[in-house]
Parts: sequence; structure tokens; C-alpha cells
Amino acid sequence: MAAIEVKHVTFSYNANQPDRTDVIKNLSLEIEEGSFVALVGHNGSGKSTLAKLLNGLLLPTKGEVRIFGNPTTDASKIYDIRRNVGMVFQNPDNQMIASIVEDDIAFGPENLGIEREEIIRRVDWALSKVGMLEHKKGTPFKMSGGQKQRLAIAGVLAIMPKVLVLDESTAMLDPQGRSEVLKVAHELNKEEKITVIHITHYMEEALGADRLIVMNDGEIAFDNTPAEVFTHNEELKKIKLAVPWDTQFAIALKKAGIDVGQPVKEEDLIDSLCQLL
Amino acid sequence: MSVIIKNLSFTYSKNTPYEKKALDNINLEINEGDFLGIIGHTGSGKSTFIQHINGLIKPQEGEIEIFDIKLTSAKRPKVDLKALRSQVGMVFQYPEYQLFADTVEKDVAFGPKNLGLSADEIKERVKQAIEMVGLDYEAVKDRAPFELSGGQKRRVAIAGIIAMRPKMLILDEPTAGLDPYGKEQILNLIVHLKKHCSPTIVVISHDIDEITRFASRIVVFNDAKIMYDEPMKALFKHSNMLKEMGLDIPRAVKIANALRYKGFDISDDVVTAEDLLKEVVRLYNKKHNTAKSADGISFDLYDFSLKWGAEDILTPNATGEAQTSEPSHSSDINAACQDGDTAKKQNACTDVKDDETNHTEKDKTNDSRKQK
Repeated sequence: MAAIEVKHVTFSYNANQPDRTDVIKNLSLEIEEGSFVALVGHNGSGKSTLAKLLNGLLLPTKGEVRIFGNPTTDASKIYDIRRNVGMVFQNPDNQMIASIVEDDIAFGPENLGIEREEIIRRVDWALSKVGMLEHKKGTPFKMSGGQKQRLAIAGVLAIMPKVLVLDESTAMLDPQGRSEVLKVAHELNKEEKITVIHITHYMEEALGADRLIVMNDGEIAFDNTPAEVFTHNEELKKIKLAVPWDTQFAIALKKAGIDVGQPVKEEDLIDSLCQLL
Repeated sequence: MSVIIKNLSFTYSKNTPYEKKALDNINLEINEGDFLGIIGHTGSGKSTFIQHINGLIKPQEGEIEIFDIKLTSAKRPKVDLKALRSQVGMVFQYPEYQLFADTVEKDVAFGPKNLGLSADEIKERVKQAIEMVGLDYEAVKDRAPFELSGGQKRRVAIAGIIAMRPKMLILDEPTAGLDPYGKEQILNLIVHLKKHCSPTIVVISHDIDEITRFASRIVVFNDAKIMYDEPMKALFKHSNMLKEMGLDIPRAVKIANALRYKGFDISDDVVTAEDLLKEVVRLYNKKHNTAKSADGISFDLYDFSLKWGAEDILTPNATGEAQTSEPSHSSDINAACQDGDTAKKQNACTDVKDDETNHTEKDKTNDSRKQK
């Protein structure tokens, strides 16, 4: 079943003005439940706008977004929709609302009016899922960016969403923090069958995804497996993106007359080099 | 010598339960002309360190000498921080968050205005600074900074620092949060600034592949101390130690190490992609008895060019046709410098150097007047 259906959606931040500019242009898309989708695009390509359309933070100017069958325009369903689609944003410093970790994680379920015992269970579960259980009584303000983002994910998990949208959640982190967050996202996808939509500028982070969607100018430029998308080196460059380092290296090597194929991962490149040299 | 740091230590929240030593007996000299990269794990002390260099944090122990200005823990004599900050320009992380004025011109003018310069002088500096970062002055000066793209906003923020005409520029994570194209533009810009504006540049970055593209020297912070201070090429003989500190090593080094481990005879000098390319071609030729060559192949990770001028700025959301019509090579800046209006830019930069001394003199007189 499709977790998310986007049907002919157009979105504009100034819909009622004569000089209207569409940020999303007649875009259609289906995301299967349980998949791990990476979404990339240059700054201003419309990917964050698309993310916000997925849980009704923004409503389509034209067209329709359905989450597990419910249209986001149906005001009576909006709380169900937001419960199903959790979002984690870019800045680790402004997604915390409490001074103690467990209070912060409990905020979501408390607002849903869930029983105390169940909240305690969920807080422990969510924290253990992101590997932060030992910090339950700690304070978020003393933590690293990667830890804070994992807490932000735990806060979303506590409302038991079926879809997790990471809107450039790794952008402000150091390499270690980035890999921590990415690892957690993949574990949630595999173990809890949570559908993950990971928006990022790091092409390497897309490699582990089932599917890579490339946005450009409010439209979908590519939508395929990461390995396939990364064969389009020249086209990606035209829309201000790039292929992963290892692929780029193989392209340079080809210019020197040495063909190592189209590796996308480091292991692939090393293997090909070993056979060739 | 631009900066001399002796026995510098700093502790946050001293004498409280949250006490944390951020710098522990740091000794470092930054020379004029250095292209210095600083790396280190989050919390290793690198940000605390650079905040000392332009006087945002006062030393608790030890002393810092920056272009003849001495910073110590002593309360007197009073340090002329304004003079210091006009010489050491600091570009913080996400500098575009600090844009505040309603037009680009006013924003860039804020720094020079605070130096007490004349209106003409300010206008001149603002124009030069905006052109220096690759934007078209006439096209952007009256626009609101918020209408610009992420990379463009960042360049405006950097222009605001350049307009102060610093002798040394410190950039903290200058490419964080940008798309590959924006990143490439900023990296090219930094190289350009090194050549034409600020002879000494210090860059903090988490992306080691980025740092190795330009830094000539790398300082590694770990646990409040300086762990290594090496020429760029020499640093990665410590690959294992760097990994233990939780730091990335360049991709080319990783691949070279993996190949060496598998028994291939790869040179220890491989750091950049170009180095690796040469080694792979050499080994290939040896095995297959061929004469292939890596000469002239620029391995530019993203292969974008930094575009100077109006087309970029007038179409912040452009799909890229204008920007990418001709593929260009790694030395985009050089290419850009050879085209027509660059002569003007270079002149502008020479001017910068020529009247640098005058300005500092002026600033000093201004300041002393105020004190009177």
C-alpha cells in the first residue's frame, strides 16, 4: 500500500498574487509503505516544501496529498496525519522543548492524552531505539549535535509514526553525528518497518536508500535506485548536484583511459581497482 | 609572524560543577601567508580557540599576540579590540543567519560604518567586497538579502567581513548546509580571497576532503590540546590515530590504505584524488605495460565553476542552464580571473593592500579621538 500519494500537486507561497511563482509544479509521486527514500535537490529546488506538504504543514495550492488514504486538506484528519508522519528538522538546537531528556520525549504522547504507564513505556522504547536510553535523566543542552538529533527522532518516535521525514537532519552535524543519525534511520526502517524519507545534500547518504528522488525546480528530475541515478553524471551537474566521490573518481580514471565501470560505493571502487592493477 | 599563541588555556564555567576545560596549554604560531586548516571532533576546543584570535574570548591563562596587539588575562592596558577585529575577520558558522539589514548594500556596509569611515570610502569598500565574492554589485545592492539563495546569502555575509579589509580571515565551517554547487562556489571563493584579499586564511571544517583541497598546513585539536600540527601532505601518516580520535581521513587516503593493505605498492604521499589518480595510472601502466597518463585530467570533485556576475544573481532559482552551459575545470577562479572584468577586480585588491596601512592609521586616530 502506498503510504503517501502526491497527486498533481502544485504549491506556491504567494498563490493569490498576480506574480505567483510555483515552488512545486504539478508533481505526482507515490511512496510505498516500508521503503527508505532519499530526496535530494539543490537549495531552492522545492524539496523542503515537498516535505512540509507531506504532513499538512503546508497544503497544496492545486492537487492533493493523501497519507494512508486521508487527504491533508481534510481538517478532521489532520491530527491523524501528523501522528502518522513525524518530521525532524535541520537544526538540533531548536527542536528541544524540555530541560530533561525524558520530559522532552514525553511531550508528544502527553499531548495525545496517552496514559502515564504507556508514556513511560514509549519513552524508554524510543530512547533505546536511538541508543540514548542511558541519557534519559540527562539534559539535552549539553549534548552533541548528533545526540540532539537522535533525541529529536526519539521525540517523534514516541508518537509512533508510520513515516519519518528527516528534513536535512544531518546538515548541521559533524561526520560522526551524521553517521549516527543515518544508522538510526536505517534501523528504524528495517526493524520497525517505518517508512523513511531522508532529505539531504550529501549524495553518499543516498546510497543506502531503496530509492533516490532528485528534485529540480519543483519537479522530479530523477526517480530510481541510487546506482541508476548516479549514472547520470552530466545531468546531475546541470542541476547543481553531484555524483558520489567514488563515482567521480571512476569518471576521472576513465578520462585517463582506464575503465573501472560505475562504482557508487568505496568497496566497489576498491574491488575494481584490485582486479585491474 | 601574524599570530603567536603562548600557553593558552581556557575553562568554561570555572569553579562550577559544569567546569569544562576547552583549551589546555595551546602553543601555536600562524604565519603570514598560511592556508591553515583546523580539524577536530565536536567539542575538541577548535571553536573556543578561534574565538580567542579575534578577541571574542579573553585569555584566562597565557597570551596571544596578533599583528602587534597583545591579548592577555590582564585588565590593563586596555586592548583596542576594534583595531584587532578590523584586522582579523571572522566568518561564523551559518553567517547568513546574521544578515539583518533590508538591503545587501546596507548589510555589507555595517562593518565599515562601524570603523568610522567616510561615506565615499564605505561605498567604495562595499562595492569591492560584493564584487570580490562574485556578485554583481548593481544587480544585488538594493535587494533584500532574504530573496537570495542559500549560497548567495552566505557570500553576502562574507562580503560584510571582506569590507572590513582584514589581513587575516577565519572561516568556521564555511560550506555547512549548502548544496554541492553552493559548496563548490564557496570553496573557490576562499581560494580567490586567499590570492587577492586576505593573505592569511584559517578554515575550520569537518570535511577533510574539502580541507585537503586547499590547506597547506593542518592543525588537529583533540581533547582541548593540539594533537598534530603538520604540513597537509604529512598529516595522514597518522591515519590510525586520526581515526581513533573520531576524525575522517580523506577518501583517497582510505582507498590508498586499502590497496596497500592488499599488497599493492602505493606511494605514502597520496592525499588528494589527483595523487591517487596518478598512482593508479602508474600501477596500471606497470602491470599492463601501457603508457596511459593522468596529466591534464583535473579531478574536480564537482566540476562546477564559480560564476561571477549578474546571470547567477538574477536567477536564484534558475535551473542551471545559464550556469552550466560550458563545462569548466578546477581552476575556475583562475579562469574567472583571466576574463575581462577581473583585471578590475585585481586592481581593486591591490588597492586594498595599498591603503590598508592608511586605514589602520585612520582607525587609530578615530579611536583615540573618541577616547578623548
